[in-house]
Amino acid sequence: MKALALAVLLLAVAGCSPSSPEDDPNTLRVLAGSELADLQPILDELKRATGVRVKLTYTGTLDGVEQVYSGQAAASYDAIWFSSNRYLQLHGGVDQRIGIQTKVMSSPVVLGVRQPVAKSLGWDTKRPTWTEIADAARARTFTYGMTNPSASNSGFSALVSLTSALSGSGSALTEPEVTGAAPQLREFFAAQALTAGSSGWLADAFERRVRGGDPIGGLINYESVLLSLNARGTLPEPLVLVYPTDGVVTADYPLTMLTGASAEARGRYDTAVEYLRRPEVQRPIMERTYRRPVVPQVATDGRFGGGTLVEVPFPVHLDVANALIQSFNDVTRRPPSTIYVLDLSGSMRGERIDALKSAMLGLSGADSSLSGRFSRFHGREQVTLVTFSSQPANPLTFVVPGDAPQPVLDEIRDVVNEWRAGGDTALYDALVVAYEIAAEQVRAAPERVTTIVLLSDGERTSGRDLAQFRDFYRGLPSQPKAVPVFPVLFGESAESEMAEVASLTGGRTFDGRSALATAFKEIRGYQ
Amino acid sequence: MFSVVLAAVLVVGVIVAIVVGRERGSGQSLETVRGVVGSEKAPFFADPDVVAAFAAHGLRVTVDPAGSRQISEIDLAGYDFAFPSSFPLAERVQRKQGVTTAYAPFYSPMAIASFAPVMQLLSRASIAERMPDGHWVVDVEAYLAAARKNLRWDQIPGNTAYPARRNVLVTTTHPRDSNSAAMYASVVSYVANGNAIVRDIGGVPKVLDEVSALFLGQGYLENSTEGPFESYLANGLSYSPLVWVYEAQFLGRQFRRDGSIRDGMVLAYPSPTVLSKHTLVPLGDDGDRVGRLLTQDPELLRLAARHGFRTADANALANFAAGAGVDPPPPLVDVVDPPSYQVLETMLDAISRRYQQ
Repeated sequence: MKALALAVLLLAVAGCSPSSPEDDPNTLRVLAGSELADLQPILDELKRATGVRVKLTYTGTLDGVEQVYSGQAAASYDAIWFSSNRYLQLHGGVDQRIGIQTKVMSSPVVLGVRQPVAKSLGWDTKRPTWTEIADAARARTFTYGMTNPSASNSGFSALVSLTSALSGSGSALTEPEVTGAAPQLREFFAAQALTAGSSGWLADAFERRVRGGDPIGGLINYESVLLSLNARGTLPEPLVLVYPTDGVVTADYPLTMLTGASAEARGRYDTAVEYLRRPEVQRPIMERTYRRPVVPQVATDGRFGGGTLVEVPFPVHLDVANALIQSFNDVTRRPPSTIYVLDLSGSMRGERIDALKSAMLGLSGADSSLSGRFSRFHGREQVTLVTFSSQPANPLTFVVPGDAPQPVLDEIRDVVNEWRAGGDTALYDALVVAYEIAAEQVRAAPERVTTIVLLSDGERTSGRDLAQFRDFYRGLPSQPKAVPVFPVLFGESAESEMAEVASLTGGRTFDGRSALATAFKEIRGYQ
Repeated sequence: MFSVVLAAVLVVGVIVAIVVGRERGSGQSLETVRGVVGSEKAPFFADPDVVAAFAAHGLRVTVDPAGSRQISEIDLAGYDFAFPSSFPLAERVQRKQGVTTAYAPFYSPMAIASFAPVMQLLSRASIAERMPDGHWVVDVEAYLAAARKNLRWDQIPGNTAYPARRNVLVTTTHPRDSNSAAMYASVVSYVANGNAIVRDIGGVPKVLDEVSALFLGQGYLENSTEGPFESYLANGLSYSPLVWVYEAQFLGRQFRRDGSIRDGMVLAYPSPTVLSKHTLVPLGDDGDRVGRLLTQDPELLRLAARHGFRTADANALANFAAGAGVDPPPPLVDVVDPPSYQVLETMLDAISRRYQQ
């Protein structure tokens, strides 16, 4: 009897126990990019057709890269599935971590442009070059949204195509070419009107701007996201898809085995890949997700335009790829102005304030991980700290120099280390202070990207309430009204109030309840 | 302690019972043979007719596709045979495994999958030439001269077919992983070396810069040859105007007549080219049976030709070409040998290191 119980236990440990659907033994565990969520109906059908359950666990691009090359991913997953393995494979030793990879679908990163803008620029009839797009951006006849290249693959792909084109390079980019293109890139990014840490949220925010009567010219995104946005029918008229003649970078979604996965997992992988590449499955993938098929038996339909695309050579050196991101953050992007509204009330005592300090110290340079390095406060960034308990404290503003950031990062670190928790929660009073600062900062430096992060671990207990804040916000002039708030859920955060603040101001909430530092890093993609 | 062992025995017993039961239930008892093969041969082993031909001899052959150069490096425990795409790589597996036998059932010259308008463009730049029998030949020497000058597609006069601001470079796989990339290095190093095989390791530095530039200039490279060829089929010119492939990959698709080789797609032959001699190394008796069958069984040899491989029977390929209504593959005139395994490895390692610098 005891032996039998042990046998059952062994079976369970070996992942062979057919109990709840959660531990379905016939599962391929996949660490994946969140944009693959739209494949769930296809994966449900895969399960019905083959018995294999493909379970996606979502994470950010850089975090995924980090988990694979550190070897950590192999402990919990059999495979990975991101929009591309190109950046990952630039890391030394990764080839020992990953095995076979199979492309499942593809989508180039292109432009979606509002019809009146496309018509006035002539892009509706003639495909422009990136240089022509950059010229229109410089003249402000074209403004656009794009994701942050250090947080999202579509932004990084756009940065690679654009830099290659502007540098005149016909082969893979080199560091001098990256540096040389900086002046033109800075002019291009000056016309960026919207940023985001994810391709899906960028499309949503763009749609909100158009419907709210504050439209921008277009957005750079996956063809699949742009076609999906058009298919929603929520825009006044569909976007014109513009395919730059001198090059795109295409996401190819390789489902990739991790080394060390079991033979059973490999069998499930083979089953999944065989199913996903069947012509009768590739077609619904194309029709439902607007990604291009990868098998020649399925032809793309008329919605996939562009004619011949030129695939831009992707950098072959990690240093070049990282230089692209670094230069974007510290030199060529619109400098960020970041206001942190942070709860230091009594309930934050103990672990909570420690977690907050650690998250802020991470952004000040203490986090040496890959995602930590790219989410550090950037050169030229303006950081304002508004802490509050029973009332808002005096705001402190720091400007991180582009050339020698360390002394200012040290100052921020010293301030953070001095924080003590105590008192009530004057959450909305602090948010009002933040908007007053934002108003001044936007007036003084309209070229900056100004955003507010709000962290509180509970209900507001003193000062204004949500209704009063709402009235205050509605009375604001268009600037600083356009400044979004990104509330972080933490402790006993008032979830619905935080969601309302986010939607009222055009931001979104982030969940910091299990890992605050991770949420703070994720927000960096939106600042 | 005793109960843990007992439990383990119980578990194994259960699994064995399930497997055996399933086997009997299917009405036939096939012996499973596992191999690791160069990815370009995966479609051959997946062909139901090939599966049936092996089944007729009581075998079920399951294969893991991998880059051929990976095959010579990975742990081969659990495999009954390894089937890389070249003789030098097979030799390395033999040495590592202490095996002396090998089977070379079929071979394939290296070629360039392209498009008629692209070839016409290259002929204007004196890089390609159309032979009297209609097939295209790429002059590797002229190609290297163009690459040395960083010739871009949009610099070729009168280019409307592919006016891309991109260097004229053949798309290959990564030199670290794949045999086809090693074959590419063999061809270009021969020409870069003044039309002579690089004979010893001391000769590698002389050609290294030029050969490396042909790889690194392309940007990111895929690991195995099936990837670029499939992208060529699915995305055509939008993927790449020139893709380095095994002749068999292209012919096999043409013979299938599944519509994947579309109008305007052409297979060009580099001059010189090299032959990829697919060589099977048995790692046990079962693997040996597979090797013997592939070399001797008339049905498997016929099927190999249907997949575009050249075999001892020179007519087999021409017959399939005639049946599929495509031009017969040309006789090969300008074929050179790859450098020795050691020289080639030294060269490929040196190129791979440049990716880390």
